[in-house]
Amino acid sequence: MPLEKTLAAVLSDKSRFGQIFIQRTGSGGFVLCHHDDANSRGLEIFKKPEDALRIARSDDAGKYRPLKTAPNLRRGWRLEVVDLGELRRALDCFYPGRLAMLAAWTDNRLSTTPLRETLDRQSGMYRIAAKISDQQIDDVVGNFCKSGGGCLRTILWKRDTHGAIPSTSLPPKKFDPGHDQTGRGQNAIPLLCQEPCNLLVVECRKVVKGEIDE
Amino acid sequence: MNGRQESALLIVGHGSTVNPGSSAPTLSHATEIRRRNIFADVQCAFWKEEPSLRDAIFLFDPGTIKNVYVVPNFISEGYFTQTVIPRELELNGRITKRANGQTWNYGEPVGNHPLMTELLVQRAREIAPDVPENQTSLLIVAHGTDLNENSAVAAKREAQRIRRLGRYANVLNVYMEEFPLVSDWRVLTNTPNVVVVPFFISDGLHSYEDIPVMLGIIDGGSTSSAEAKCEEVFRRGPYKIDDRSLFYASSIGTDARVADIIVEQAAAGETNGSRN
Ligand code: SF4
Repeated sequence: MPLEKTLAAVLSDKSRFGQIFIQRTGSGGFVLCHHDDANSRGLEIFKKPEDALRIARSDDAGKYRPLKTAPNLRRGWRLEVVDLGELRRALDCFYPGRLAMLAAWTDNRLSTTPLRETLDRQSGMYRIAAKISDQQIDDVVGNFCKSGGGCLRTILWKRDTHGAIPSTSLPPKKFDPGHDQTGRGQNAIPLLCQEPCNLLVVECRKVVKGEIDE
Repeated sequence: MNGRQESALLIVGHGSTVNPGSSAPTLSHATEIRRRNIFADVQCAFWKEEPSLRDAIFLFDPGTIKNVYVVPNFISEGYFTQTVIPRELELNGRITKRANGQTWNYGEPVGNHPLMTELLVQRAREIAPDVPENQTSLLIVAHGTDLNENSAVAAKREAQRIRRLGRYANVLNVYMEEFPLVSDWRVLTNTPNVVVVPFFISDGLHSYEDIPVMLGIIDGGSTSSAEAKCEEVFRRGPYKIDDRSLFYASSIGTDARVADIIVEQAAAGETNGSRN
């Protein structure tokens, strides 16, 4: 089970993955909670890895979370899993696909795709998004992907095939997998972004269509 | 199917940025198939959710997974199955050999499988177990005029197949946006019982609100949550309207037996897929 192997290699007794705090128990299991709940009492207890789906679904205000790596994971829960396999499944529900991207990156087989390539590939209603200017990209990415309030992933992709950085308003650490995007300055397992997500494509389209302020 | 230890299943869904119910059936079919231990790994990928279709390319370690079976959890062939999924997953036809040594088999959409007919009939039977079928009309509802899927054609095909079984007094394909309209059910049918099954992959606005409003079993404009609406509309039947009994099912794609179809579709993708 290679993903479990990747996970085991990056885990310590206390680990962080996005907004999740993971603690190893004496019996080989793991306890997970929101990183702001590490010292909270009275948390609602969950015991099945798939319970993470329900926890991750909506934010504290009950609003659906279309982007699971957005920094709006809800608080107030504690998930107990019995082994590494269950931990993997739980993390896959919290941050779908991110462990596999980490494994691919660790194995040197994760390729990245520049934003312009993603936009140029679109069809149908999204084709128009490719008309976005470099300056507009700079603004929209800087706003949409920023770790504070946007998305906790580490960006690995470039703006175009010339290797331009996606946004000058993002700090260099946004592109550094060694940096903790939650801003806590702690050791964290990175959430990698190897290609702009569909939500960003939607934002680019909105900018081109003049539907949002740049 | 090629060696189980080396094979993975990828179920592709549309997903949604507003409705969590959209991906829910896909995720639960994946959980069920995982439990059966047929594949070394079972993953989902979505156009509008995570993991994305682009992520899917890296979901399976080529060191251990040699074959990936891709099954679109869609009601019919269309824009997504023919354009978006192949493009995003970098598939070229039914079988794609990748530079990393993996073979990706691209199966047909779930809605195309012959078992779907059986499932629709079973579903109809389950929501209206005590009604005599020869006094019952069965309505298969699809969207119609949708640019992205050929759901109207698929619903028509299913209605034809069920009609051929000769069990129901009447079997009709009806649509939300083209004739015959679901809202005309009172004139389209004349039996004392009417069973309506939405031919959709998941429950969403269409199945818990739009169609019920068109059928006249709920009022539009309710502000309750999606969950509350589902609870209400699917549990409350049968509805008594003009001396007739109307039974309304949730979307066919939410049926647990769709997991069987996904597994079948993966196997069929390997042997006799019609794609080229
Ligand atoms: S493109 Fe990547 S970093 Fe930006 S919002 Fe989407 S997932 Fe997050």
